[in-house]
Amino acid sequence: MGNVRPVLIVALVALGCFNLCYGGEEFSEELLLRPLPDRKVLAHFHFESTTPPTKDYGHHHHLFPKAIYQLVHKFRICELELSFTQGRWNYERWGGSDPISSSNAKPPGVELWAIFDVPLDHVDATWKNLTHTLSGLFCASINFLESTTAYSTPAWAFQKSSGSLRYGALPREAVCTENLTPWLKLLPCRDKSGLASILDRPAIYRGFYHSQRLRITSNEFGSEGIEPGIDLEQTLTIVVQPDDQRTSMSYSSGKIQQPDWSISSIFGRKISGTCVLARSSSVFLELESTLVSELNKVGVDNAASDGDITFPGFELSVAPVRVIKERRSSSVLFEFSVDKYHDDNPLDIGVKWKHPVVWSCVQAPFQANRFLLGSGNERGSIVISLRSTVSQRIFVGDEFGDGCEVQVVIFQVVPWYVKIYFHTIQVFLDGQLELTSAVIEKIQVSPSEDRVSPGVMEVALRLPCSTMSAVITVNFDKGFLHIDEYPPDANQGYDIPSAVVRFPDIQASSHYLGDNSSLDSPILSKFQENNPVLSYTEVLLVPLATPDFSMPYNVITITCTVFALYFGSLLNALRRRVGEEERLLKQKAAGKTALLPLILSKLSSKLRVRSHESHKSASPSPLLSNKLIMKAILLAGLAVAWHFYFG
Amino acid sequence: MAEIEETPQPSTAEPHQTPQTPLLSGAIADPNPNNTRSTKPGLKRLIMISTVLISFVLGLPFLLKSIEIYRSPLPFRDIESLGDRLESIPLRLPCRFQAVFLGFEGGSSGLLFDVEKLGFVIFDEMRELSRNNGKCGGCDTNYTVSVTLESGAGCVMNQGSAMPSLWQCGSYSELDDRLKDDDEGIDEWLDSMLGRNNGDSVDGGKMYTVVVMNRDEEARIVVGKHRHAWIRGRVGEKYAIDKVANIFVKYFMNGGKEDALVKGEFMPVGADGRIVLSFSLLNADPRHWIYNWDFKRIEEVKLFPIIKVLSSVANISVESQVLYYTPKSSFSYWDEKLSSFIFSTKDLPFFVNSNEWHLDTSIAAGGRSKVLQFVVYIPSAEECPLLLQLPNGEISSTNGFISPMWGGVVVWNPPGCSKNSKNEHHPISNTLSPQDLQKVLEVFTGQLRQLFGLKSSNQYDSHTGIFSFLGSESGFTEWELDALLRQHACFNLISCASTLGSLSRLVQSLPRMIIMDEIGKQVMLSLQAANLAENNASLGIYEASTVSSKQARALAEDAFFHPSIMSISYYSFEHCFAIYTPFFLPVLLHVVLAAVKECKRYKKSTLSTWLGGHKQSRIVVTLMLTQYRHGKIPQEINFYYGVGCLPASDIVTYG
Repeated sequence: MGNVRPVLIVALVALGCFNLCYGGEEFSEELLLRPLPDRKVLAHFHFESTTPPTKDYGHHHHLFPKAIYQLVHKFRICELELSFTQGRWNYERWGGSDPISSSNAKPPGVELWAIFDVPLDHVDATWKNLTHTLSGLFCASINFLESTTAYSTPAWAFQKSSGSLRYGALPREAVCTENLTPWLKLLPCRDKSGLASILDRPAIYRGFYHSQRLRITSNEFGSEGIEPGIDLEQTLTIVVQPDDQRTSMSYSSGKIQQPDWSISSIFGRKISGTCVLARSSSVFLELESTLVSELNKVGVDNAASDGDITFPGFELSVAPVRVIKERRSSSVLFEFSVDKYHDDNPLDIGVKWKHPVVWSCVQAPFQANRFLLGSGNERGSIVISLRSTVSQRIFVGDEFGDGCEVQVVIFQVVPWYVKIYFHTIQVFLDGQLELTSAVIEKIQVSPSEDRVSPGVMEVALRLPCSTMSAVITVNFDKGFLHIDEYPPDANQGYDIPSAVVRFPDIQASSHYLGDNSSLDSPILSKFQENNPVLSYTEVLLVPLATPDFSMPYNVITITCTVFALYFGSLLNALRRRVGEEERLLKQKAAGKTALLPLILSKLSSKLRVRSHESHKSASPSPLLSNKLIMKAILLAGLAVAWHFYFG
Repeated sequence: MAEIEETPQPSTAEPHQTPQTPLLSGAIADPNPNNTRSTKPGLKRLIMISTVLISFVLGLPFLLKSIEIYRSPLPFRDIESLGDRLESIPLRLPCRFQAVFLGFEGGSSGLLFDVEKLGFVIFDEMRELSRNNGKCGGCDTNYTVSVTLESGAGCVMNQGSAMPSLWQCGSYSELDDRLKDDDEGIDEWLDSMLGRNNGDSVDGGKMYTVVVMNRDEEARIVVGKHRHAWIRGRVGEKYAIDKVANIFVKYFMNGGKEDALVKGEFMPVGADGRIVLSFSLLNADPRHWIYNWDFKRIEEVKLFPIIKVLSSVANISVESQVLYYTPKSSFSYWDEKLSSFIFSTKDLPFFVNSNEWHLDTSIAAGGRSKVLQFVVYIPSAEECPLLLQLPNGEISSTNGFISPMWGGVVVWNPPGCSKNSKNEHHPISNTLSPQDLQKVLEVFTGQLRQLFGLKSSNQYDSHTGIFSFLGSESGFTEWELDALLRQHACFNLISCASTLGSLSRLVQSLPRMIIMDEIGKQVMLSLQAANLAENNASLGIYEASTVSSKQARALAEDAFFHPSIMSISYYSFEHCFAIYTPFFLPVLLHVVLAAVKECKRYKKSTLSTWLGGHKQSRIVVTLMLTQYRHGKIPQEINFYYGVGCLPASDIVTYG
């Protein structure tokens, strides 16, 4: 009886427990797969942990990572986003205006921004401490963002904020597994089970692009909250090229066959069940609207199919649980639930293309690029070019009239040693120089201060929809660094972080057909959020004049030698008794001549000639100058020897 | 002779004045026709050279001053004296002891004599017991034992102790009623009697009491949870004295510690005086079952009292987490007889799986806090139930172990785990029942006591014959806390002194290291706090002494680990030397050589002037001439006579 009772209690508790005992802490895992037009595949992992506010719930958690909770409370973080990226998102081929590309395509290296709930004069100190903590947490050199020259305070161009936002980027940070492991540690199941278990490290780092992102949204401090206390969103976006299983490529009708792929062919593993702690665990396969319309065209031609699960143009190896359609465009989401699958029956979603298809991605109205002009180590100019994506005009709006305008907001941070002359901003529309006041709607610059703060440029442009290209140029001078400010690989050049280009008028959101209860998936609700389209430009590499680093010591040595020579000769000139020395020499010579005949008589005539020569050379003035020269040479030799051995 | 012809011939100007010395006059005569000099010859150049040299020498201190780096003055002597003081006499705090004998009949020579004698006997006994007990943090050696003897006949105190006894005479009459109570009741009664005067405000240390009650029953010794113990029953005087001295020394003085269990240097307290208790619940394999706990409630009930009582030893904060997929890294084997999985003490070093147990240091804990991990390990279905086998073959009752300075682990087997067939795909989610959690927390309390160097729980002590110990709700009794406070005060001070000593040695060994003002200030404050701790210790104020010693240690560590000390870019002396040598070496060479030459020359010229002044020059010159004719003229003489140190005017005058 004594044994039975605890069992009973446990059983009773267990019955009503599963949701109750987590008390509102939730974790969900999702994976979105999407074929890309250039024969690549996008895999987007989305993990989300939420916890209720502390004042109701206390500070002991069951699922929510302790580290993040303590981070939020120690630094009073309202919002934070940290991303580690390797490779550059190809906006042209992989899309530019869908939710994934505008919120998960990140600049290379590390990007960190945070909004704090602290008094404005404490924000900088909090930011510095935060960078150090994150640096330790994620094994990255985020602590370099501590210095005031490395971060900036965007006023309005990056996000609407009230002065407590800080933004910093490290374009040259190398991202690897040591950053991924701590990121995975924040998941309750880590990569032991669930969707994260397919994260094969070589497969990830072999890819063309990968970006791991961490976003914290907290409602802990003050403001009225309907949302949960802290929301931790972790995403990992990978673009990989699947191994082409079919060697023969079909070039019929001039189209390249898309490669067939499956989860196991991309990652080398299959999904063997859910993470038992996840509330929901599902995999989505997305077909973009342009692809769907292409497939439909093909599908009309070849309606016949033999597989169980067939769609026009391709085959799926696993039947989806349901098909979700986008409301505006006609993109399609196939949902697969992982619940049914386990070790013995793993999930391996595969796509087999039946016909070659060619499509292009949905792009942002303008494609942003940035490059440098000029040569030499003195000056140059930065150019941001916006090229219209002509075929995508539908996004700008149906009306093509004169009244149609697109707002473009550019936010650019440049380090202080690239000294931007903001008065030299020029805007060219379709190759024509325009009056800046006519095009620039709003501009805010904060010039850089040497070794104190970077230069920040926030520009809002209003461009007519018919603009084919817009080019903004700005000139800069290259500054000089102190000897101790050069990085170890100074000759490589200096990276200027990516500029952010925002299109506030255009929302990157997808709205799916279906009632809200069926669309409670966190990833889909994220996609439905209204966020403006965002894209990043390239990182610039500016070469600066690099000195010879042994120069200071060389300068010291040579200056000292010159001074010593000067001083020595001055002293000599003051001290010497020239007349006296001459007399002495004569005495010597006299003495010698008195003795010489004795010696000379014994020497041959040849020797006599030589001695005569020596007499000549012993005449006072040439000897003096010779002595001086000898001394100088000796001193120089000493200096050289000193420099050689001790320098 | 051609050379001679070239020279100007002053002899031609005055041919008749020096007819005897035509050659000499030609050689010595000043080429300068203006030969009316007032100063001694050669002095001008000597002054010039010596001015340069002196200005160099005088400029040297300015140069050194200008390239000097800032070093805040540190009180090296004070640091050294603190270290020496603590090394020679470890810090000991005064304690007072009191023995109360109830119901003993006085001897023939009267009660007073007995009381005095008892006091001395107990004192001697204690000296004997604590002889090789020079431990840090013990009691001061010049303690006193006051003895009170009360019986029906009267109440007598010994005169030897300066301290008044806390025992109130006349309480003997209450005894019979009180002794009907259980131990807890007696403990509280004694505390109300003895404890009221034993507050913190009393100077001279804490008073510890043993009450011996001579009664007609079996002997029984109880150590209470406050600062007293009692012996009741039929006890002889000798037995009583022996036990009283033992209790005083072993428990009240040393805190009942087992020797060398945890060394004092390994105090589980961070350098900043903080401890973070990090509790983790590890589900080895959540596919089998998932356990949770209601930590918030247990924290309020069980942990807050512990944090409160230990607050003067360390600032303690608590955090918790639940982790999943955390298998242990050691092996266990199936034991048929016990029908369970066994891991032995040999496996313990490998039990903690640092790869998979990401217990993490805490972000909330700043700087140099100490994080103590307390881990509840729930085995997976494949190794359930999991039991710890002790070296003697028995099964551990707590099923847990500690790792000093790291924390403790408890293996908790889910109820009926052998019956639970593992259900791979739908794990059961459970919560640890409050009773189970309470039990686990009790084990953790014992582990925390062990980490602090105390016994995990005091039980029957066969050696001393102590029957029972009363446990406190907070896990630490008052006398144990006193011992902890004494010990921590001492070890904090020793650690502070050794840190400051290292700092001063480091600073002295690197003469070109920059020392910021802040470091100097921290060192000063640390020394002040250390002195305050010593003063408080000598006055017997335990808490204040421990708190200021903690502060002293934290400040010393702050100074030692100041970021400016950590930087390695010292402007070393070699560097300085390398920069200034290329200029100063050649220049000084010139100056010094010139100065030496000029000095020599000046000496010789003064010599020659002296010679000329004594009208000897003519003789010398004649001598020289004769020598010259013989071809034996020495080179040097030729130099300084011929070349002109001897002024021509003198020659002319005297010649």
